[in-house]
Amino acid sequence: MTPQAALGLPLQRPRPVRRWGAAARGFVGVLILLAAWQISVPLVGLGPYFYPAPADVAAAFVDLVRKGILPVYLADSVMRYLVGLVAGATLGIAFGVLIGMHRKAALALSPLLKFLFAIVEVAWIPIFVVWFGYGIETIVLALIYVVFFPVLYNTLLGVRTAPQILVNAVRSLGASRLQVLRLVILPSALPGIITGLRLGAGFAFRGLVFAEMVAAKTGIGYLIFEGAQSQQTARTIVGMIVMGALWLSIDQFYLRPIERATIQRWGLTVDAGERT
Amino acid sequence: MMSEPSAPVIERMSAVAAPRSQHFDALTLGTLPFLLILGSWALLPYVVDYPAYMLPSIGAVLDYARESVLDGSLPRDVLASLARLVIGFVIGMALAIPLGLAIALNRYVADLFRPVLSFLQAIAGIAWVPLTIIWFGMGNGSVIFVIANTIFFAALYNTVIGVQSIPLALHRAVRSHGGRGLALLANLILPGAMVQILLGIRTSVAYGWRALVASEMIAGSNGLGYMTMEAVQWQRTEKIILGMIVIGLLWVLMDRMVFTPIERRTVGRWGLLQR
Repeated sequence: MTPQAALGLPLQRPRPVRRWGAAARGFVGVLILLAAWQISVPLVGLGPYFYPAPADVAAAFVDLVRKGILPVYLADSVMRYLVGLVAGATLGIAFGVLIGMHRKAALALSPLLKFLFAIVEVAWIPIFVVWFGYGIETIVLALIYVVFFPVLYNTLLGVRTAPQILVNAVRSLGASRLQVLRLVILPSALPGIITGLRLGAGFAFRGLVFAEMVAAKTGIGYLIFEGAQSQQTARTIVGMIVMGALWLSIDQFYLRPIERATIQRWGLTVDAGERT
Repeated sequence: MMSEPSAPVIERMSAVAAPRSQHFDALTLGTLPFLLILGSWALLPYVVDYPAYMLPSIGAVLDYARESVLDGSLPRDVLASLARLVIGFVIGMALAIPLGLAIALNRYVADLFRPVLSFLQAIAGIAWVPLTIIWFGMGNGSVIFVIANTIFFAALYNTVIGVQSIPLALHRAVRSHGGRGLALLANLILPGAMVQILLGIRTSVAYGWRALVASEMIAGSNGLGYMTMEAVQWQRTEKIILGMIVIGLLWVLMDRMVFTPIERRTVGRWGLLQR
């Protein structure tokens, strides 16, 4: 899914084992970027408000950690993210299964869902702000909204592609509707659900940062926004770097292992869904 | 790349759901939730007591829609947003395709750029807005930067994947007939990657569209995002709701009139849909 994955794929032919060379070149790339940044600071010469140097950013980082601001913000962001992700995914799975198993529900709900999906979550934030004020409700609702649709559509796809022959087999053995759901539908929908979760997690992360910029008084998004507002641009950049690091670690330590576990367990590659 | 549930998936979902004989059924059932929502919207003031600004009446939204079309403010906002989307799209694609080709074709370039791009991709989009406000001020510069940035990363991914999905056999065939350098690029790599690039446009623009609305809310001086966020201060909820509906309708329209035809043509031309 991620460009990292894409960029890491073998190109025309399998890559020979030269990981160290690759890592070294990657490191050089990072160094070049940092060096270009450092060198360009005196060339731009507009002061740390307009264009802070790497040293300014490092100092701001130490300052934020020492004052205890960054850990608190980070914890707040992660908490909001988890609540939104879990709630949105639960709703998405529930509706996905419902729509997937009932033809009438599909007919009734798909036009509405199509339209709601077109009103991106970002567009809901102003009305949420009017209704719920600036705070966690607005942020979590926006996250639920973002996560819901990818999970829903991919669950639906999974439910729809559950092998009918297995459904028939289980039913002819006398399984109830719930048992069919538990024994056949959910297991075969699982790779779809995971794919949806992964897409949703990506959208939600951006949604989180944006919602925090608009509607929060803590969190990484707020740090990015407030830093610039209060002319502490170095703080903004600390926020952006923390955001990037946070997403890369979520991806690396949670999403990928979950995906890998599903693939190993069910022997399916969800990659096809990701390229949709 | 994280992708939208694509139009075909949604089409397919209704296609599976509605056999031809039951079109009527689909129509009645499909409009039912809309009617329910409109009905409860109309009845809500009689049931629950809430300040009028929280939810305007349907009439108020329609009135504002007519008013804003007549005084030209709505069309102006729509055009401003779409123009930014197009400019950001062109800039993002123009940067992404050459770099994507270089990354896909040269291992050293790929190695050099991978960590930096992975990291920048993780912070792509809206997180840049506060910084761009400092750099470019409120308005076009900031918003276009964010859209171009967002579309760049989506398109980069599709370009790399596009080149990688060219069958090795074709590559060997061209090479064994002496195709090298520019000829290889023009006759194999570009057309081969084009399928994925074209199909990826939909996802890229979906990201760009969100980025557009979001960045206009924070850094815009006009446009749909600005219109809805600005209305919050004045508690002009009818303006917000109209904005939301227009945002939804525009996406549905873009989907119908731009992306679906592209997908159909691509499928027609190359006879495959990579989904």
